[in-house]
Amino acid sequence: MKKIRALASLVSLSSLIVLFVAPLAVRAADLKIGAPAPDFTLPAASDGKAIALKDLLAKNKAVAVVFIATKCPVSNAYNTRMAALGKEYAAKGVFLVGINSNKTEPAAEVKEHAEKHGFTFPVVKDEGNKVADAYGAAKTPEVFVLDPKGILVYHGRIDENQDDARNVRSPDLRNAFEAILAGKPVPAAETKAFGCTIKRV
Amino acid sequence: MRAVLRTLLPAAALVVIARPAFSEPVKLVKPEQYRARVVAAKKGRVVLVNFWATWCDPCREEMPALVSAAKGFTSKDLAVALVSTDSLKKTPDVQKFLASRKVPFVCWQVKSTDPQRFIDAVDKSWNGAVPYTLVYDRKGELVMRLAGPQTEKSFGEAVRKALAP
Repeated sequence: MKKIRALASLVSLSSLIVLFVAPLAVRAADLKIGAPAPDFTLPAASDGKAIALKDLLAKNKAVAVVFIATKCPVSNAYNTRMAALGKEYAAKGVFLVGINSNKTEPAAEVKEHAEKHGFTFPVVKDEGNKVADAYGAAKTPEVFVLDPKGILVYHGRIDENQDDARNVRSPDLRNAFEAILAGKPVPAAETKAFGCTIKRV
Repeated sequence: MRAVLRTLLPAAALVVIARPAFSEPVKLVKPEQYRARVVAAKKGRVVLVNFWATWCDPCREEMPALVSAAKGFTSKDLAVALVSTDSLKKTPDVQKFLASRKVPFVCWQVKSTDPQRFIDAVDKSWNGAVPYTLVYDRKGELVMRLAGPQTEKSFGEAVRKALAP
């Protein structure tokens, strides 16, 4: 009974948070490196609390917006790596936020998935895939790294090797984080993300 | 006995000849081999290459449409090749899926340590999302890109356009 009440309050809390996506500075398909990324406020799957991108940008040296999934095997191949990157770089001022835009994966499932895989970063639920549309995100996992002004400085994959985290040759996301922290331009600012198609409404 | 053999041997031969292509093992293709092995090897025919993965729901869902569409063309006009972007660990799943759906096409699987190398070798304008279908004309020139899931009708129309002189 307690569980039902807790779930009900979570649902009602989530429903109170109105999805907010700022008017696009550019069309989604044109979101290029150097362009301002759309702002958003979405409910965290864990507790329904509103997570605002602009607040994260104000407090950090960079924010990585990562489109993820609960059922996609490619996204899931990166769970351990995402958890480790999230933990390691949060301490350095680079914040990771997961976004689930799949219509087939409800908030309760996203919450359970994040807990199971030890994500210390928030995962927000993008009902109606509005943020995915605004960003032009097509796949999971797919990463957009923004500087404190919300400018896109990296877009693409986490790394090239979904099968074997120990044999990664091109740690593109980590390289982007390191470059930002060193105040240098991201060496490979655009890579091609590979993974499952976001299941849109 | 001879009479029995006379009856059975042609039947056995027919079984061998009619062995469905879906029992063929999946072949591996490296980025630098794509053009030569998947496309140029079928030159003289329109070649439709469908990029897919077992984990991709729309890819699995459109497969029957592709099988049906291909039945509308002779093998002199059309060659269909599948390229699975599944991890190499998943080869048995790829094989199992194709066999279960009786998919009669040759299927390649990407062998590359870096998926981006393969994506760019195939088509630089491709963002890597599957399903994705490319259609080449009889000369091996890329004439059509079909992004996202297709229908029997859209597959058929794409091939007919590529066949048109």
